[in-house]
Amino acid sequence: MLLSEEKLKSRVGYQLPGGEYLLEPYKNWLTNDVVGAPNDQDAFAHPMFCYYAALNTMGISLEELFALFDATSADGVMFGEAEIDIKKPLTPGSTYSISGQVTGVQRKNSKKLGIFDLVDFELSLHEGKELVGVSRNSFVFPRELNNGNDE
Amino acid sequence: MATMNNPKVGSKFPPYEVGIVDAEKMKTMAVLLQDPNPIHWDLDAVENLGLGDKPINQGPNNMAYVVNALVSWIGDISGFRGLKVRFIGNVFAGDRLTVVGTITGVDQVEGRDLATCDVQLMRGDTSDGDIVMSGQASVLLPE
Repeated sequence: MLLSEEKLKSRVGYQLPGGEYLLEPYKNWLTNDVVGAPNDQDAFAHPMFCYYAALNTMGISLEELFALFDATSADGVMFGEAEIDIKKPLTPGSTYSISGQVTGVQRKNSKKLGIFDLVDFELSLHEGKELVGVSRNSFVFPRELNNGNDE
Repeated sequence: MATMNNPKVGSKFPPYEVGIVDAEKMKTMAVLLQDPNPIHWDLDAVENLGLGDKPINQGPNNMAYVVNALVSWIGDISGFRGLKVRFIGNVFAGDRLTVVGTITGVDQVEGRDLATCDVQLMRGDTSDGDIVMSGQASVLLPE
């Protein structure tokens, strides 16, 4: 049964448990190697650690996040958009506190997906009390294929 | 083409050649990301899902290529400030990628020039390839 719009909207504000993320230097080295970034300095981490740290430490698995919306990865949940907003460069060896919440939901309809839900969530990285970065992401939850309606 | 001394709105930053996407790198990233999705290393899983016959790159890898392009352009990793992207198509092992982009604004932030850019990750030739990811990025230009 399709999650009701009322229940869908009730998920906005859900607090993700979060946690602490140690940005280990070896992970930065390996990440640079994987994505083709130079390993010629160790003062700053690859900026994508704003994303890696946030998603790694949101406190629940992706499968648990999907379950909040009555879905599993087998339902074809897809990434919609992703954003990193860096206030201060991340550094190897530092520990960051991650916290976040579901920030928005929208039920939509398209020819390609039929009814689907867009779910936005946001995770913040703090070093002590200082905001270091924000990771904003959205997932697409297909609910019904090819029902013939469009926006 | 935009140079560091001439970051005009509307000019392009230098194309960044990512090179050929390597399936072996996806395996390392799957562990680093703790990403259990087999489409990044298991060809049977990819084929069973009807997604082709090559491993599919992790989305964050594609974002990282764009970050690399901007950092390479400004020459300062600490000057990278933001990236927002929309995933348009899957990137497969063996794809040849290039990052291209255009400066859309230059504003003063904290006494420095912050350039905002439209960015695209392209597969194949930049003249007739397809865009697999697009978005906006922001970087602090060197003082």
